Amino acid sequence: MADAAGAPILEVDGLVVRYGSYTAVDGLSLSVGRGEIFGLLGPNGAGKTSTLSAIEGLLNPAAGAVKVVGHVATSEPLAVRALIGVQLQASSFQAELTLTEILRLYSGLYGLTLSTNELSQRLRRAGLADEAGKRYKQTSGGQQQRFSLLVAMLHDPPLLLLDEPTSGLDPQARRQLWSQIERARGEGGSILLTTHSMEEASAVCDRVAIIDHGTLVALGTPAELVDQHRTDPRVLRAAHGEVTLEDVFIGLTGDEIRD
Amino acid sequence: MTDVTLLKPPPVGLAMRTLLRADATVLLRNRQALLLSIVLPVAMLFITGAGSGRRQVLDPGYLIGLAITYGLMASGLFGYPMAVARDRESGVFQRMRVTPVPMWTVSVSRIVVQLVLSLIMSLVVLGLGGVRHHLTFGLSNWLLVLVISLLGAAVFLAIGQAIVGLTTTSGQVNAFSRVLFALLLVVGLVGSSGLLGTTFKTIAGWTPVGGLSNLFSAATGSVAWGSDQVIGLVASVGYAVVFGFIGVQWFRWTVR
Repeated sequence: MADAAGAPILEVDGLVVRYGSYTAVDGLSLSVGRGEIFGLLGPNGAGKTSTLSAIEGLLNPAAGAVKVVGHVATSEPLAVRALIGVQLQASSFQAELTLTEILRLYSGLYGLTLSTNELSQRLRRAGLADEAGKRYKQTSGGQQQRFSLLVAMLHDPPLLLLDEPTSGLDPQARRQLWSQIERARGEGGSILLTTHSMEEASAVCDRVAIIDHGTLVALGTPAELVDQHRTDPRVLRAAHGEVTLEDVFIGLTGDEIRD
Repeated sequence: MTDVTLLKPPPVGLAMRTLLRADATVLLRNRQALLLSIVLPVAMLFITGAGSGRRQVLDPGYLIGLAITYGLMASGLFGYPMAVARDRESGVFQRMRVTPVPMWTVSVSRIVVQLVLSLIMSLVVLGLGGVRHHLTFGLSNWLLVLVISLLGAAVFLAIGQAIVGLTTTSGQVNAFSRVLFALLLVVGLVGSSGLLGTTFKTIAGWTPVGGLSNLFSAATGSVAWGSDQVIGLVASVGYAVVFGFIGVQWFRWTVR
């Protein structure tokens, strides 16, 4: 899907990522357009994190290319990271700093010089005004996720990469987080997210890609994927009644547990 | 959404200023690091100088140098690598790696903050040591002590960097640092005192603690500059270079 000017925000073309003899991503191609919410779905070990790392310019692919707004991730990693906001699943912030101080730190790292007033406004918009003087570990799981997303969105990037953003959140916290994500999309941002919740992917993603063993096994809108695979015997075996995106996912990637 | 043409990596100066501010705040709020780096060297100064006024076993300049060396060692072997290991484990570095700043700025900022703390500690210990032992230091003594403190801080930060580079968890760093700390302190202290003979004293002069103590003794004017100080200088530079190389070469920003 392309943006209004015809160029996608993110282009992944024939991406191959290897760790020694193990191939984590094997010829993956996809693109994300402006204002699109794109879901990258796959069981554990399918290659989602390796794909995100390649987009973030943190590893050198064995083959293929990743471009963000025309910048190549391998040759211009800093330029690419200036264009993306990242919320990682397993990351943290300095335990000794307050939320305001962390926000000030990351503002500087993204080239912004925000006043204390502006920092307070950002925290207020994310519903974290009362936590401004607290340390990160003193906040609840939902507040940590919202704060992490706030840091990712500090510089209003055209592309947000969200790694299981609602994992472990209660319904209220999930709802609040999604309103933050929808606001980012409403302002023209594109979002690439990973999630294990097929219900969530169906509800919020414009398009999804299902990957397994590093390769793309399905790509389209959630409704298209359900329609395309409605009669697939593997999907029918997984279905209990009306076929859902989760049935398609299980049907295409198998039902064995991955670690 | 911001115009994408305006989204560029920040100037290095802005990134460094921001990192230095944050790292200084983190250090000032870390009571354990401050205790190890400043309070304990001062305490050591007064404990080892307890014989003052009667017959002292060791030279006052040597004792002051030893207290400074102890502070540098505590900061370099415990404060710095433990903070790095902890931030690596908890994912702080993982988050910083996806920002548009080169990661060397993150390292440099932390090292600069540690160096400043080491210099402050050295000035405090030298000043209080002078009072404790009724010594007056000239400007050259102060300057020489600062220069050697920088060298000593570089030695122990390089060793700390090597430790954190060769280990993966903060528990391993803690265990490794404790053993090394005790070993260096005992070898340097006992060896340099000459209590175990001249051969052991010569060997101790090549250790980080022994070499730096000899340099501090001369810098405070307690002994003349001589071959022991040349050995101390050569050994210290060597340690800083070798361990710094190991620490940079083997260091990983994430352990996952």
